[in-house]
Amino acid sequence: MSKIIDALDKKLNGLHYYNRIILPFKCHFLKIMIEEDIITNFSNSSPDLEIIEHENFTDLYFKKYKDLMEELSEYENVKMILCEKDADIFDLKSHVKIILYLEDDHIVRIEKPGENQILID
Amino acid sequence: MIRIFLFGLILLVSVEIFSANELHAVSVQKHQTEAVSHGGDINIFENPPSPYIVFPFIVLLLMIATGPLLYRHFWEHNYPKVAIFLGSITVIYYSFIRHDFISLTHTLEEYISFIALLTSLFVASGGILIRIDRKATPMINTTLLAFGGVISNLIGTTGASMLLIRPYIRINKERIKPYHIIFFIFIVSNIGGGLTPIGDPPLFLGFLKGIEFFWVIKHVWFIWLLAIAIILVIFYLFDMKNYKKALTTKTSYTGKIEFIGKRNFLFLAIIILSVFIDPAVLSWVPSLHPLPFGIREIIMFTVAFISYKSAKPEALKGNEFNFEPIKEVAFLFVGIFATMIPALQLVAYETHKYGERLTADLFYWGTGILSAILDNAPTYLNFLSAAMGKFGLSIDKFEHVKTFEAQDPIYLMAISVAAVFFGAMTYIGNGPNFMVKSISENSGIKLPSFFGYVAKYSFPILIPIFTLIWFLFFYGRG
Repeated sequence: MSKIIDALDKKLNGLHYYNRIILPFKCHFLKIMIEEDIITNFSNSSPDLEIIEHENFTDLYFKKYKDLMEELSEYENVKMILCEKDADIFDLKSHVKIILYLEDDHIVRIEKPGENQILID
Repeated sequence: MIRIFLFGLILLVSVEIFSANELHAVSVQKHQTEAVSHGGDINIFENPPSPYIVFPFIVLLLMIATGPLLYRHFWEHNYPKVAIFLGSITVIYYSFIRHDFISLTHTLEEYISFIALLTSLFVASGGILIRIDRKATPMINTTLLAFGGVISNLIGTTGASMLLIRPYIRINKERIKPYHIIFFIFIVSNIGGGLTPIGDPPLFLGFLKGIEFFWVIKHVWFIWLLAIAIILVIFYLFDMKNYKKALTTKTSYTGKIEFIGKRNFLFLAIIILSVFIDPAVLSWVPSLHPLPFGIREIIMFTVAFISYKSAKPEALKGNEFNFEPIKEVAFLFVGIFATMIPALQLVAYETHKYGERLTADLFYWGTGILSAILDNAPTYLNFLSAAMGKFGLSIDKFEHVKTFEAQDPIYLMAISVAAVFFGAMTYIGNGPNFMVKSISENSGIKLPSFFGYVAKYSFPILIPIFTLIWFLFFYGRG
């Protein structure tokens, strides 16, 4: 199973195509911040997001956006608070914070937040 | 986007160049027509514009107020087209029907000055990253808000908000609540900037019209101090309650305050000093007429360019700097400045007729309520125009503005205080409010809705303070 920690350690990139982001791991989603939207509804009926899990990766479709690359400028990003599939979701210490930067050639750079970046759980 | 913006600017610049020739013709004819006044422009008290031409202004203000709330994605993609289209209607009316090129020329000059100041302050402060490694006690938070309120008079409410919102969220990250952000909006993004023309856009527009730079601080400092003190005390009580509940943290702090991009403080100082490099303020400063800008604007844009190009990537990344907020202001204010021309003239014309019924109370509450729900910059100018119209003075004439500020301070005080202070009433009252909301939500802080903000915070906290200010300083006066 692909894990968040592996993707961060191996510096794996994701991909983006218009409103779709492909993450190279599987996880539980807790909170996603994109522009001023805070997404916490990850159910099948979510108006904001559709999640499709594959064997080794996860597809995210941001329903309110047409083209994420166009909407986010150079220093803007997508912030996520996640939890590994096999971790205790009720333990706040097992929550993982990541930041996605959308780059050219459909690349999504995945990083842990730096000391200047803020992600409130 | 850029093409639309350039189209708008080219349209206005074309009118400017055309008007340079037209000015000559007007000056030849000025003794031949009573409709032309001493300064060469059309006398609005004898020949007001058609009331129907105010329609684009009303539509634009309503769309600015409702767009981000009711149809955000449409608005984000289309506001430049809307602003340019509505502005063009007024430009065409003034160019080809009214033949009033002077009003357009003045407006273009004011727009360039306005956008030069906001852009340069925004870019220069965006290159400074502040790291505070201290425990966010109620006293530290209150001090930070007070500091933000003071410096917003030096670098603008937008610059101060940009500079301080992230360090403020960062030091409070373990116990941050919506009220932290709301009080930040109250003080740093609005009321704090009520002392100088650099502080808040309405006051800068007044300065561009001819209000003396230090007039506001001389006349409203005690009102500002009272409002800030009361809000800080209320914040301290809120924060103390929250702090007591969240005492369990064991994080250690170095107590350090670190600045990345310190050079940008120098750029900010140059921008602030350049505000005074104006032929109307310092007689030795050469005018670049007929160009629609002066040396001041060249300095400001140059500093903005240099500060961005030389900014530390770490600071820009830490501030998640982007040009979207200033791009939005640039486009929307093209539309606001253009569509506002007939509104200002008609307001002056109407109030000249009914002037005696207009009191300081009406100017205070009228400016305030409209500043809360519409943008406070055009609201300020409309009410200033109305107050001057009461005495048969025109806001478009520099010497009339000088006469007005000298003889009737109570009206200008009421309008200045209300335009700045009431901007804090809603997310849409002032430009930085939405920027702070956006940064906070992007950091994961869920803020109240538009009506939640008004019902939970503005009405219970601000309205009693604003009523007290009205009672103490404006009730029954003027």
